[in-house]
Order: sequence, then structure tokens, then C-alpha cells
Amino acid sequence: MTSSAPSPTHLRHWLRDTARPERRALGMAALMTTADVLPAVGFAAGLALTLTAWPDRTTSILMGIVIMLAALAVRGVLSQRALMTAAGAAARIKGAVRRGVVTDLFSGRRSSETGLIAAVEGVERLDGHYTRFEPARMAAVMGPIVVLAAIALASPVSALILTATLIPFAFGMWLAGTAAAAESRTQFAALERLSGLFLDCIRALPAVAAFEATGTVVGDVERASDGLAARTGKVLRIAFLSSGILEFFSALSVALVAVYCGFQLLGLMPVPIPEPLDLGRAVFALVLAPEVYAPLRRMAAAYHDRQAAEAVVPTLERTPVPPALPTPRLARSPALKFHKVSIAYDGAPPVISDFDLEVRPGQVIALTGASGTGKSSLLHLFLGLSPLTGGEVEVDGHRLSHTGDWCGQVGWMGQATVVVPGTLAENIALSQPEAPRELIAAMAEQAGLSLDLDRSIDGRGGGLSGGERRRLALARAMLKQAPLFLLDEPTAHLDAAAEEALIPALAAATRGRTCLIATHSRAVMALADRVVAL
Amino acid sequence: MPPLEALIRAELRHQRPRLVIATVAAIGVTCGSALLLGLSGWFITASALAGLAGPAVAHAFNYMLPSAFIRLLAIVRTGSRYVERVAGHEAALQGLGRLRPRLYARLAEGGHATRALAVGEASSRLIEDVDAIQTRFIRVAAPWALGAGLAVSAGMAALAHWTSAVALLVGAGALVLGSRWIAERWVRPAAALRQEALGQLKARLTDLEAAVPEVRAWSLEGWATEEVARVADQADAAGRVLAERSGHLMSWAGAVTGLSLAAATGLPLWLAPATPPAPLIALAALATAAGMEAALGLVTALRDAGAARAAAARLEPLMGADPDRAVQRPEGDSLQFSPAGPTFVGGSRVRIAGPSGAGKTTLIEQMMGLRPVEPGQMSAGGLDPALPDVDVRRLFAYAAQDVSLLNGTVAQNLRLADPKAPEALLWEALEDAALAERIAGASKGLDTPIGPGGAFLSGGERRRLSLARAYLRGSPWLVLDEPTEGLDARTEQQVLHRLKARLDRTAQGLVMISHRPAGVALCEAVIEVDGVTEAGASALAVGEQGQPVGPQDAEVGH
Repeated sequence: MTSSAPSPTHLRHWLRDTARPERRALGMAALMTTADVLPAVGFAAGLALTLTAWPDRTTSILMGIVIMLAALAVRGVLSQRALMTAAGAAARIKGAVRRGVVTDLFSGRRSSETGLIAAVEGVERLDGHYTRFEPARMAAVMGPIVVLAAIALASPVSALILTATLIPFAFGMWLAGTAAAAESRTQFAALERLSGLFLDCIRALPAVAAFEATGTVVGDVERASDGLAARTGKVLRIAFLSSGILEFFSALSVALVAVYCGFQLLGLMPVPIPEPLDLGRAVFALVLAPEVYAPLRRMAAAYHDRQAAEAVVPTLERTPVPPALPTPRLARSPALKFHKVSIAYDGAPPVISDFDLEVRPGQVIALTGASGTGKSSLLHLFLGLSPLTGGEVEVDGHRLSHTGDWCGQVGWMGQATVVVPGTLAENIALSQPEAPRELIAAMAEQAGLSLDLDRSIDGRGGGLSGGERRRLALARAMLKQAPLFLLDEPTAHLDAAAEEALIPALAAATRGRTCLIATHSRAVMALADRVVAL
Repeated sequence: MPPLEALIRAELRHQRPRLVIATVAAIGVTCGSALLLGLSGWFITASALAGLAGPAVAHAFNYMLPSAFIRLLAIVRTGSRYVERVAGHEAALQGLGRLRPRLYARLAEGGHATRALAVGEASSRLIEDVDAIQTRFIRVAAPWALGAGLAVSAGMAALAHWTSAVALLVGAGALVLGSRWIAERWVRPAAALRQEALGQLKARLTDLEAAVPEVRAWSLEGWATEEVARVADQADAAGRVLAERSGHLMSWAGAVTGLSLAAATGLPLWLAPATPPAPLIALAALATAAGMEAALGLVTALRDAGAARAAAARLEPLMGADPDRAVQRPEGDSLQFSPAGPTFVGGSRVRIAGPSGAGKTTLIEQMMGLRPVEPGQMSAGGLDPALPDVDVRRLFAYAAQDVSLLNGTVAQNLRLADPKAPEALLWEALEDAALAERIAGASKGLDTPIGPGGAFLSGGERRRLSLARAYLRGSPWLVLDEPTEGLDARTEQQVLHRLKARLDRTAQGLVMISHRPAGVALCEAVIEVDGVTEAGASALAVGEQGQPVGPQDAEVGH
């Protein structure tokens, strides 16, 4: 996340632009949410019919009751359809956003810590915005107009009164809204910070417990909580003012319509109003009066969904994709030349600087040094996973700053191995899908993988030991027959026996290829033609 | 009473004045709404009938009182809503603000459970659960207010005929019970499935992300993205099922409200001996509508209460013992790792050896009371660390292999070990951990922030900071788990050399896990571990160090 807070307009535009492909579905959901007022109109009409017919006990009473019942049943079904439509659209939007995050993650344009959280929890926080807030926001504009139109058919004066309350209401909302929106955004951010602080303290629990430092940390949590509570008291009063205004005008509108209709029906209006009002029309107008404000109240209730979504936008935005660079084919094991290479991630101090190394074709180099000295970063250069911030790497004379990366032409073996659900053979062939079966079997044998090739493996690598996973990775790398071979801690986390057993297979795999091996292990270093300490 | 429940209740009691205000105001809101709507309906209908009966009747009709009352109700409702919101949220904020530190203190006493809490998923879940408890404060008023609203509505409906009131109450009952049934039978399982699907998504994504270099090497980015999308689609499908089932709640509410309204209006027509007058039917119909709305609110309130209860139930087992309880603390400082094993006196230097996975870390953490072990296996300072009322932590200064750091500054992290340590002492510890130069080079020195989980430091720097922190705690035993793993040879030698000098100076004891040759030379005794369970260490061979080195003449490194 960037340090400067992005503007609210920017966040809103992002949310809007992201939803563009689903505009129709969201519009449909909004339409259905708006259509929700039609059953309300039906209900009001049913009740009006019943009451008008009541003194004479005509069969219209029954008709009115049936209309009321039907209207409410339809209302329930309509809300459900609206919710489903919006949920479908939200799922597709979330899917597209997630795909973007994941693509960035797999192409090294995004760090793993933020990427994993963004792809799951972050994306989920968009849900409320699209399923609840967006439809409610659109319905908040159309809904009141439809209701007012319906009321105007029965009693234009009542509609006029309601419209008159809407104007100061809108003004009040705008006044309180601008103040409250800023305040409530601050408030939301403060709450997030407090949650974050608490989370940090929870994560540090093992140390806190071991050092009996609970008192110190509890003090920190207490001060932060108190500070927030004190500041929030004032904020809340303003924030609730907008809902107070909503409430006031909603109650006032009912009261005004009731009093007007009552006086008009009694014929006691001080000024004669030329409106033919009867009981049915009056009841209709009265019952619908609260519905003018209902869509606005629904939108206000969903407002925090929007805040949650806005808060998460900066973590979901895609980084610009650099143009793909043409990569030449390597025909044989290449010579490598590192010249004053520096690697620095995102403004942090460089993990490695001014690194020089020349590797002859077919030479095996072991890179060693403490973690954090840039061994993995050097290997990641060839995969475009680390930024070359200074100097140059030449692969057979081709400059890395021109080719970008060598993906697809390097063999790789690391600590983590991709496992796909399928057979062992399919897993080995991941690096070379069109490889013939005999070749796969030969590579498995060379890697010392003495398991049945048709044995099925689930996506979590079930049934394979740590050593077997490494052999799978090795077989896969050998199958690729790539001219350049990168190994990142190939024996880390293996016990001594498993490491020793893997060494001959590693020796076979590295022979005759240009190899860079990052390792702490002396046994692995012994395989190298040259050991380079970083 | 379970400890968390006791904490929550204490805070609820503490916030009682605010909660009472919020509750009274909330009752004002729901009753005001019902009365406003019902009275307005009655007023209009009665006015219409009076108007029809001619000017004489119209003038005799008392319109002043009801119309004034309607205006009053509108104001009461608005004011009450505002007061309810402010008082309720203030109570929640302050209540939770006081609850969080107390909760944390109890969690810190949770011992064995704390380690599991510190990792990603579990800690996020915990935060969500703590936030869910907030509804216990905000929602205190809801059941009362909604119950009162329902009662007032039923009372108004009864003015028409008792059958109207019965229709409302039966409808409200059916709404609440039916909704709970739907929530239990339909919504909850769907929510659980969705949670599970999201968990699978996270797991698959984590697996693939860990292997990004391999994915890139084979140019499988597209495949990996599709793979994630495939699992995500399952989670989204589960989400749609959940949305659909939650939607059933709305359909049910619509149907029941319709039926009970029809009954409230229709029943008096057939069952009342004399048909009630139209104004009262208007009153009954609108009161029923208001009453059913209150019942719908009750459904939400009950659901939130259920979620808060479930969250509390998940938190409850994590609560540690009362921090203020009486505990036994050790007087001596000798250690014994197994019933038949030797006793190491203070100042000894012991190395724990064994193949990876043999349980070396488990063994030392059992000794410190940080992991469960059966009683009778170990002794620390003459006490059994496995017993619940024994706290042996003061004996140990621990630098764990999984470095656990606070998201704060270097100084804050160091002072966890000694809150009052002066800066000179902090620098000395950093110097001994071979980190002083690095920290002095940072522009803010000791006040340099280290980021969440120490993200601004490298792996080796995090390890050395954790080591420096252990140095600051003047406990009889320094417990170091692979302190030089991942350090280059020169730094490793520096660290071990200064460690030895420090031990010679302070006469502290040392328990160290290390398989590196330079570390081996520092210790005078070795415990060979080959399998540790909760029942204790299964095979513990204790022997003299291969090349015995006295504390005075050790040569560190080569």
C-alpha cells in the first residue's frame, strides 16, 4: 500500500470502473430493488380498498385483503431475486479482480504477503458494496420518485407535501453528509488501525508470554483503545446526525400527511384546497408516505459496506504490466556474466550491490551466505521475480535488461514444489507436457524417484515425503533439459539422511549444465566447480 | 462462569447507565413508530367518516388531540433514535475498549494455545471474533425495544378486536421461529460450506504462491491463475447458495407478514359479534404492519446475538488462567529434562542434539511451560512446569527459532524483556548479538520501526534482534534455539564469541539447540533427543560433550 492516502474520488472511480462489465446485471438488481416499491403501492391500495368497503361490508373487503397478502408475498420474492442477481454480479466482479491480483502475484509484480491477503480477504470485502450498497444507491434515486408518482395519482397535495420534506432533507443530508462522511472515514480508519494494533499484539503473543511482558503490551492496547473511544464520542454524534435527519423527515412526512388528510377529510382546512380526497385516497397516501424514505434508509444502512470496499481498493489495484520483451532461444549451456549487479525491492536498501561473477558454459556455481544476502534474489533475476536495479547480467551475451527474463528456458528446483492433482507422470511432465512416457520414466529413475508413475497424487501432494517431493522437482527440471539450471536451497529442511540420499541425483542433474545453486549445505557445495560466498 | 463471559458481563455492568439510556430510547423508537402509524390511520379514517356525516359531526370531532399527538410522536421517535444510536455505540466502543486489554491479558496466560494463535489465519479469526462480541453491547437494547414495539402494536390491534391481536402475535411468533429454523437448517450449513471453500482457496493459493519461481520457470502462470480461478469458482458457487438461502428469510417474512395482516383485518369481520368500526380496523392493520416489522428486527437481533455467542464460544477455550491468581514460582534454578536424567545446576551449558524432527524445540518449550507435557516428567527450579499453578517463566530468557516480534521499534522490542532498561544496556545487548552496527547505521537508531513481524529486517537480523532481547532478560537460563542458523560464517563466529564472553561475565546457564560445529564447542554437556511427545521424551541419551570445553578456556570457531 502506498503511504499517501488515495482520494475518495479515485477509490469510487475504481469501484465503478471495475464493475463496468457487470453494469447490466447490477442495473437489473437495482431495478428489482427499485421495483420493490410496487408491492408497497399494491399493499397501500389493498388496505385503502378494504377500509373504503368496510362500512358497507361489500365483497371488496375480501378483494382488498387478497391484494395486501399478494403484495407482501411478491415483495419477499422480489427482494430475494434482487439479492441473487446482485450476488451473481458481485461474484463475477470479485472473480475478475481476484484474477488480476493472482496474475500479478504469479508474475512477481506483487509481494506474497499482501497478495495472498488481497486475493482472498481483500476481494471478499468488495462483496457488500456490490450486493447491497450499489443496488440500494440506485434504488435510492428512483424509488422515492416512483412512490411520489403513485401518491400523486391519489392525492397530489400529499405528494407535494412529501416532496417539500424531501428538499430540506436532501439539503440536510448534504450538509451532514459531507461533514459526517469525512468524520466517519477517519473513524473507520482509526478502527482499522486499532484492529491492526491488536492483531500485531496477538501475533507477538509467544514472545510476550515468554518474557512475561503482558503488562507492557496491555498498557499499549489500553491507551490506543481509550484514545479511540475518546475521539470517537464526538465523531459519533456528528455521524449519527445524518441518520437523525433522515429519521426526522421520515417521521415528519407521515405526521404531515396524516394531519393534512385528516383536516381535508373533515373539511376543516383553513384555506380551501381543491382536491377531491376520500378515505381510500387518504389511506393510500398515508401508508405510502414512509415508503418515500425507505430506499434512502436502506442505502444509509449499507453505507459501511461501501467504506469497507473503499478501504481495500488500494490493495487490489493492479500494477501496470510492462511490455513483453523478445527473448532469444538458448541453444546450449550459456556463459553468464554478472557485472556490478544491484537488486533493491521497492525503495528498500539493496539486498545485494555491485555483485560481479563470470560463469563459463557448463560450470556449476554454489552461492552461499547468510539468508538476506541476496542468493535467491540473484536466481530470481532470471525469472523476472527480482528487479535488476543496477548493473547487467549477460546470458551468452544477451543482456537481461533487454530480454526481461528467461522464463520457459531455465530449469528450476526450489524448496516448494508445485503438485497438481493427477498421476506422478503428469506431475513430472508439468515442465514439458509433450514429453514421451519413456523419457519421463528415465528422468524419474535418474532423480531416484522409485514410485509407480501412474500413482495418483492429490493437490496437496498427499503421500509424498519431503524427499520424494524434491526428487519430483528434480525429475521435472531434468525433463525440461533446459540449458540453464537454477537451484534454490535444494536440500533445505531435509534431514541429514534424506540430504545425503539426494546428492547423487543432484550431481547427475547438474553435470554438463550451467548451474547456479544457492545453498547452505556443505554436501551440496561439494558438487560445485566453484563456491562463491556473498 | 466461563472467564470470557465473566469479563463481558463485568463490562456490561460497567456500561449499564449508557445501556439503560439506549434501551429506553430504543423502546421510544419502536413504540413511537407503531403508535405514529396506527394513530395516523385511525385519525384519517375517523376524520373521513366524520366528514361524510356532515359539517355538524365534523365540527364536533376532536381533531386537536390526535393531530397534536401525531406531531409529538414524530418528534419523540426522531429524538429517541438519535439518543439510542449515540448511547448504544458509545457503550459498545468504551466497553470493547476496556474489554480488549483484559482479554489480551487472559490470552497471554493461555500458554499452550498462544503459539497457535500467533499465525495468520488463527489471529485474523480471533480479531473477527472479538469484533463480533461488540454486538453484545450494541444489541442490548434490541430485544427489549422490539418486544415493547410488538406489545404496543398488539395492544392497538386489540382495540379493534382480540382476534387481530392474536393474528399479529401468532404471525410474529411464526416469523421469528420460522426464520430461526431457516437460519439453522439452511443458512448455517451453507455458511459453513462457504467458509470451508474459502479456506480451500486460501490453501491452494498459498501452495502455488510458495512455488512461484517454479511456476515461472515452466511458464505455467496461466495454468496457475486458472487453477486458482477454478477453486475460487467453487467458493463463489458456495457464496451464491448462501445468498439464495439467506433470501429465503425475506420470502418467508413477506409471506408471513401478508398472512397475518390478512388475518388481522379479516378475522374480526367474521368472528366479532359486531363488526368493529373502520377507524379501528385501520388502526389494527397499520399496527400489525408495524408489529411485524418489529418482529423482523427481532430476527436480526437474535441472529447477531447467536453470532456473538458463537464467537465467544470459540474464544472461551483460549482464555488462560486468571493473571491475578496465586502461582508458585521457582526458588532454585536447576533443570531436569527427564525423570531419570541428570540435574543441571545453574551456570551449566547444555546442548540439545538430535536429528531434525526429533523434538528438540518441543523439549525445551515443555521445560519452559510453553507446551503441554504430562506432569512428573520434568523439573525446573524444583517445580514441575506441567502443573497448572506453576509458572517457571522467570527462569528463562528464550530466543525462539520462529522469531516473534512486535510491530514497533527496535527499542520497544528489546524492552519487552526489560521495560526499564536504559539505552546503554540496549546497545550492549545489540553489540553482543552483532547487530549494534546495523542499528546504529539506521537513521532513527533504536527508534527504527521494524514493521509487522519484523518485515523491515532481514531473516538474520530478526534472529539477532531476538537474541539481543533474550540477553536483556537477566534470567538464570538463556535458551537459544539455533541462534546462528542462516548467519554467515563471520557473523556466526562473532555472535558465538560474544555469547561466550557474556556467559563468562554473567554466569548465566545456557540451553542451546545447535547442530553447527561452532555452537557445539560452546557447551559442556549434551542431551541426545530422539522423539518427544506430550508424555515426555521417549529416548533421551545424556552424555558429556565430545570435546569437553570448560567455561574458562573455550575456543569458539576455528
